[in-house]
Amino acid sequence: MSGLTSTISNAVMLSALYALVAIGFTLIFGVGGVLNLSHGATITVGAFTAYFATSVFGLNIWAAAFASMVVGAAFMIAFYLGMVQFVEDQPITVMILTLVMSIVVEEVAKILVGTQPRALPSLVDGQIALLGGVQANRLLAFALSWVIIALLFAGVNYTRTGKAILATSMSTKGASLVGIESKRMYLYTWALAGLLAALAGVFLGSIQTVSWAMGREPLVLSFSIVVLGGIGSIRGSILGAYVIGFLEVFTVSYVDSSLSGLASLVVLVIILLVKPEGLFGRELTH
Amino acid sequence: MTGYADLVDPRSLSVRHFAGVLGLVALAALPFWIQPLLGRGGGILAVVSVTTALFFAMFAMSWDAVSGYTGQISFGHALFFTVGGYGSALANTELGLPPVAAILLGTALAALAGVVIGGPALRLEGPYLSLITLVSPLILLQLFIVFSDTFGGELGLPSPEPLLPVGGFFGQAMANFYVAFALFCVVLLVLLAVTRSNAGSVFTAIREDEAAVAASGLNPAKFKLFAFVLSAAVGGIAGAVFVHTVGKPQPSQLLVMTVSIEVIIATIVGGMGTITGAAVGGLFFSLFREWLSGVEAAVPGIGVSIASLDLLLFSVVTFALLFFLPEGVLGWALRRGRTLTNRESASGDAAPDGGRTPLEQVVANYRDALARIGGDDDD
Repeated sequence: MSGLTSTISNAVMLSALYALVAIGFTLIFGVGGVLNLSHGATITVGAFTAYFATSVFGLNIWAAAFASMVVGAAFMIAFYLGMVQFVEDQPITVMILTLVMSIVVEEVAKILVGTQPRALPSLVDGQIALLGGVQANRLLAFALSWVIIALLFAGVNYTRTGKAILATSMSTKGASLVGIESKRMYLYTWALAGLLAALAGVFLGSIQTVSWAMGREPLVLSFSIVVLGGIGSIRGSILGAYVIGFLEVFTVSYVDSSLSGLASLVVLVIILLVKPEGLFGRELTH
Repeated sequence: MTGYADLVDPRSLSVRHFAGVLGLVALAALPFWIQPLLGRGGGILAVVSVTTALFFAMFAMSWDAVSGYTGQISFGHALFFTVGGYGSALANTELGLPPVAAILLGTALAALAGVVIGGPALRLEGPYLSLITLVSPLILLQLFIVFSDTFGGELGLPSPEPLLPVGGFFGQAMANFYVAFALFCVVLLVLLAVTRSNAGSVFTAIREDEAAVAASGLNPAKFKLFAFVLSAAVGGIAGAVFVHTVGKPQPSQLLVMTVSIEVIIATIVGGMGTITGAAVGGLFFSLFREWLSGVEAAVPGIGVSIASLDLLLFSVVTFALLFFLPEGVLGWALRRGRTLTNRESASGDAAPDGGRTPLEQVVANYRDALARIGGDDDD
């Protein structure tokens, strides 16, 4: 297997996971207008749930993945209902609140398992003879990501709830006028974002490791992805995820591994200065 | 320009100013009353803690000068502390400059960083500005790791020479304390003078309504940049003196994201847009954490010591404060004080018009900016 194909398959797989993370981030921002800085913490919550489910309760990894999606969504719902909803019209307070929440999650994770990274079993074992051999686990992450994205597009465009979420993101006032409860739509986006981030956390944990600070890098990459794609745009986030994912993997593989994270941050700064609305900005959630 | 004259005029010294001066005097005399109280060993450790807290309070004040007054929220002020601290440390250890010259160079570099980051960033509004300030320190940290031969990576640099070398731990602690205290007073006075001057009124006006400032013929961008650079320079000099006294040029002390967040939390706890609130909040925050980390008791049931929970506990306290005291402890105390003495504010220094606290006004501005981005407007 040549170096290039392995790098490409790695980039494709990581980008698929980043897309899951970034979609949730952009949904919450686009619909509720909230920059959720605890989004990375949800990844950690998901991964740790799977870790505890497999190593302590002895569940198999599929059940653990399901459990972590439930817990991730529940975590976001509880956070939204318990705190964010009271201050969501105060963006500064929300940013500080969500940032503090991510510190809380990291500290709790450190207390529970310490700073040593932990391993998570793969969802499927073995190799698949594609592009000269790809780990089945990574292929599953990629495939699942696209299934979810397709479901999400279908859900947003063809279900009543999806259309209501879309309407809320376009205009909260307009949506209220036709009888859409914006609070409920916000809650849906938080739950969905939690579910997707937790799933991404399980895959990141099984491909890399589970550790207390594992949510930071995806969160920061999400900034770049979401700003590049245009805040609030699902399509932009998917495109952004692949651009940033490829940029990351190729910089690390071919330039210098210590540059990890730097290239995407530079892209972020350039986009913010040159075209802050991003590629698909203002188009919103479609 | 008369707003701060009453600070030094004893005839017009109101209760809160009196309390402030009393607090400063008590702080100045700290080494003399804390040692009888805690014993020589415990006393000197307390002096070191307070020295660190003074620097943290300066960081908080520098953040408040730009974010509390002009409403341009910076989520990455640690960058300026780092540029000041690292710049000064490198100038001292690598270029061989004496500490004083190194500190001045570090401060100038921090001010320059204020121009470099503030100039373009201030064109952006609301969350976009916050994002760019949030990632700037991350980029700097990444650069430090890439060029770890020069910047020491995540471990940081060796300590530079002390600013005021005195023999012995005891004497050095005292010298450091008074260096920090003197700088604290200078920073406090400068920031109070600026924010209570006409420029300060313009800062506040920018926070309240930027369009109105522009309409009255003033250039808001110029004032915002001035506030940003002033704040960067103050943060830079604090960072520079910090590494030459009690601190070390390490990312964990200056650059990591928690530093930027702690500064914001401390200022909000004390009261945003007041400078004095930031000073009090910064001192309190730093000392409270220090005290908490020394508590040896363990949490019953899970066998985890309270000391390892300090950041967690403080985060929870912050949650509570964000909900119940958004005007900050100092703002609350002032309001309570005014109710008790049954009189209105003597001078209009930090009291914004329209009955909004600075935090509320910033929040309102962000809401507008978000509405423009988020498409809440009808287009």
